[in-house]
Amino acid sequence: MNSRTPTAAGLSLGFMTGAVIGASLTAFIGGCVIGRTPLIVTGLVLPASYGLLLLLATLPRRAREAAVVPRTALAVIESREAFRGEASDVPVRFELSVAPDDTPAFRVEIRQDVNLVELPDYRPRGIVVVEYPPDRPWKTRIVKRPTPEWEDRAAVAQVDSVPGPAMTSQSPEGCFGGLLTLLGLLLGTAAVLLLFRADLFDSHDAEGGAPRPSVSSSSSSSSSTITVTSATGTVALGPGQSMLDKGQLREAVESLTQGADSRRALTVVVQDRLLTVVFSPAGVQSTEFDPRSLPYDRVPELVEEAGTALGVGSPRSWQLTAEDVSGSLRLTIMVTGGGGTGTLQADGQGNVLRRSGS
Amino acid sequence: MGWDRFLVLWCAVWSVLALTGYGMSLAGVTKAQRTVRLTGRIERVRPPRHGGSRTGGISVVVTYRDPASGQQVTVTNDGERGEMITVAWEGREVGLSHPPGRPHAYRFSNTPQEPSRGLGRPSFALFMVYVGLVVLASIDWGWPYALIGFGGAWALSGAAYLPGAVRDKNRRIERLAAMDTVPGRVIAVLKDVGVDEDGDTWTTITPVVSFTTREGTAVTAHCTSNLPDPAGAYGRDVTVHYTPTDPADFTLDPAAEHRSRERDVMFHVLMCVVLVATAVTGAALL
Repeated sequence: MNSRTPTAAGLSLGFMTGAVIGASLTAFIGGCVIGRTPLIVTGLVLPASYGLLLLLATLPRRAREAAVVPRTALAVIESREAFRGEASDVPVRFELSVAPDDTPAFRVEIRQDVNLVELPDYRPRGIVVVEYPPDRPWKTRIVKRPTPEWEDRAAVAQVDSVPGPAMTSQSPEGCFGGLLTLLGLLLGTAAVLLLFRADLFDSHDAEGGAPRPSVSSSSSSSSSTITVTSATGTVALGPGQSMLDKGQLREAVESLTQGADSRRALTVVVQDRLLTVVFSPAGVQSTEFDPRSLPYDRVPELVEEAGTALGVGSPRSWQLTAEDVSGSLRLTIMVTGGGGTGTLQADGQGNVLRRSGS
Repeated sequence: MGWDRFLVLWCAVWSVLALTGYGMSLAGVTKAQRTVRLTGRIERVRPPRHGGSRTGGISVVVTYRDPASGQQVTVTNDGERGEMITVAWEGREVGLSHPPGRPHAYRFSNTPQEPSRGLGRPSFALFMVYVGLVVLASIDWGWPYALIGFGGAWALSGAAYLPGAVRDKNRRIERLAAMDTVPGRVIAVLKDVGVDEDGDTWTTITPVVSFTTREGTAVTAHCTSNLPDPAGAYGRDVTVHYTPTDPADFTLDPAAEHRSRERDVMFHVLMCVVLVATAVTGAALL
């Protein structure tokens, strides 16, 4: 056995590592883009847990390897190849014949960093002191600062060359392992994209050719959640707030129409904590109106009037619908309470046109 | 699910880790508590090569008595062996430590070390709990709590350490005044060149001075401060000031050292003031 081939475990570990890196990176970046906390946390927790698991899984092996007492021996440098770079420590490939005192000699190929100033000390046919774990001789290392005893032995010793090919820690299929890691990375990324495709792209298979509206913006704060798509805009207020609060409704409408001055509406529906604006598609000019033109300051009065004047008892819920069906804007307010339902109709300026109750 | 729940989970996990660590320390089973700590003696100091690397420190041969077998063991600082020995003389006592039952995995320290209680990791876990709590407070109650939480706590700890820092400075200044003066020489200038991940090269120049104390101890030491034009210092004669009881405590310029200690304390005070101001700003913004 003159070279070490990568094991199935090693290859699958590379694949898994690639998958975890791909999945966690995609989850983190995707989570940041769509603002979803669980996805961001998954992106952070996944690599941490994987690392911890790997650490625990390799603990017995590392403990076993660390307990092995390294063996010191003399070796002769068969050949040396330095890879020059800008750094003062350069990587050097050594081929050594190692002659331990009590076990058979072997030939090994290693890579070790050597300082440029010390490089002349390691000439071919020179004798050096080396150290290696007896169970992994391919991990041989040149001892640059040997103890005086070994230094004296190296100064006078003769070491014979060992014929035959050298052991090496280089894996001949390293390229395959790298490809497998890359594949894992891509599959991990694809898995996250596939699992969270609904959130990440907000688009499904276009059945019947009707394209779904795309979320152009979505934001939330502790007080309200605003969602604007190409077709609708909604504002949901947080607990303890009402659209009847002073200025709240106007502010909500402004938040949906800001940055798009010319956006016109087909319908505006307001409930106690929810505002929905159905935006007008291009070319429906006859029934569209400016959602900001409604008499919002009059809404609390109209709701109160619909509730009390119609005698519905204590109002439980209310809804305002604004539409332009017959060429002029109409507001319909429906209030439901213990005593029944009251309906009130007003014009675009908030003047009451009709009342009815049941 | 909001950030709150994850932060609570974060604090809970780190709390468990901290408690486990403190429990292990009380039981005396932490890695640091089980480490075997020995005292070694430098037998030989190998002269550094001009232009070589500072990595690994000054090459030394150290002997120590193995408590298990009672035999004298000789080791060198080859490869990754803990602290870098930067001041060496024959006969100097250095610290050696190794995990139980693994004397081959020995590590050096510049001075013999006291047994440790291994509280580093649990304290780090406790720090993480603290960070989590401050972030939680600033999310739930308003961001000024971040200023109060970080500024206040660090200001308190800075203020607590201030008297100790002043005492250290005074002691150091007394030692500087009691130093002996001998001639020395720069016997080598070590040069390390590396390339960082951006492809830029960095260079570290480390002059090595050698001086003999009045008691006849030949000291070899890395000297990285108070030497003008370090790159061209090879062969230069210098005046070395050292503490007679510990030649590892030496300087080429006691006046500069004096000033730097004063500056350190000033910086400490300034940091405390900035941190208090941060906490006060946070409180004012509430």
